[in-house]
Amino acid sequence: MREIVPDQQGMILVLLFIVGNTLVYSLGGLAGADIWLAFLIAMVAALPMVLLLARIRSLMQGLGFYAGLERILGRWPSRLLALAYAGFTWRLSCFVVSDVTNFVQAVALPTTPQVVVATLFALLMLWAAKEGVEVLARFAVLISKVVFFVLFLTLMFLLSEVELTQFQPVLYHGFKPVLRGAYQLLDFPFLEVVVLFWVFDSFPSKSSPYRAFVPGFLLAAAILLVMDCASLAVVGAEQYALFYFPVWTAVARINVATFLTRQEAIVGLVFAVGSFVKMACSLLASSRALAYAFGFEDYRFVVTPLALGVIPGSQWFITTVLEVDRSATATHSGIEVLFQVVIPVAIWIAAELRAKSRGPKAKQA
Amino acid sequence: MAVMVVLVYAAVAAFELWLWDERPWKKVVLYLVLFAGAATLAALIMVDNELAVPEPVGYLKGLVKKLWQGGGGP
Repeated sequence: MREIVPDQQGMILVLLFIVGNTLVYSLGGLAGADIWLAFLIAMVAALPMVLLLARIRSLMQGLGFYAGLERILGRWPSRLLALAYAGFTWRLSCFVVSDVTNFVQAVALPTTPQVVVATLFALLMLWAAKEGVEVLARFAVLISKVVFFVLFLTLMFLLSEVELTQFQPVLYHGFKPVLRGAYQLLDFPFLEVVVLFWVFDSFPSKSSPYRAFVPGFLLAAAILLVMDCASLAVVGAEQYALFYFPVWTAVARINVATFLTRQEAIVGLVFAVGSFVKMACSLLASSRALAYAFGFEDYRFVVTPLALGVIPGSQWFITTVLEVDRSATATHSGIEVLFQVVIPVAIWIAAELRAKSRGPKAKQA
Repeated sequence: MAVMVVLVYAAVAAFELWLWDERPWKKVVLYLVLFAGAATLAALIMVDNELAVPEPVGYLKGLVKKLWQGGGGP
């Protein structure tokens, strides 16, 4: 059964996926006070990749994702690719669960074993992945209203603490740190949007992938830009790069007439919701890709073992909050470049060639 | 404790398989293989908290570096 996600729901899913578990980290911290510039550069650099992903889906012309992929690459290359992406996306869901468990342990439940929180989130994402992308997208739309409201409120309160002089002097350390910061942002979270390429099954129209991916990406990037710049302006550039969770720290400083204080818990809420959406999408992508790689149309039967594998996986890949910070703020590794850039570009070239060769045939017919 | 973890995974797998309407053997095999992998990983993590993560890219890089440095020698 094909699952069709309407444009607006797809856009919100893309948005929540990108904002997801990224909000609290020191994104682009390497850029220092020029973080806004790093964000703009990263957005400009990531946009062609987002457009490329939308273009590939658009070239599939109404087919389901895997049928379209088979038409472009052939059956066995598609299955091999799906197997590789199943591993990549499963690893990502382990990372996201690990981020959440470490965050919860660091800020709220220091004596609770991480495996308890990991199990709760694994069960939640198992449920969501079994329901499918349509239900997940509808949930994203519903919960996004709360997320937007909370973020707006937080930003308004945060403005009272902002020191705009923190952004000065511009480019004091030159352009290199800015580029490194932009590179950081490309790796996490901007180009992780490639996971959603494997989540969506069908779109209502040929232009729908553009309407889901592009505004979703731009809005998410704008939200992160505003929130991170505001946080940097509150805590300062040096502290921003040093703290594990600078947004959390910045929001903790909100003090409206000594009445409204300790607002950071609501940022934790956004982080939890976004992380849930991201881990569910990653698990869904992993399950769908794995089932397809082994020749099954239905993917739901592999969701449970994969989700239960995420619990030990989250303890395996990352064990401490320091490693979480490193994984969130490190620049590109070889695997990420391969899965987020090289393979999508190769698929796009193959799709364009296939569309070109099919063009004259279609005209003859 | 590791044995307990494996038993819990086995119990969950058995319960879910029991819930299935149909049990085509191909699906059952894949399901059990994945569950076995998940249970093994969970047990290994219980036994060794600092279980090394395989790094195929790092291994390849090291191999290329080794070959590169070794090339041209007597």
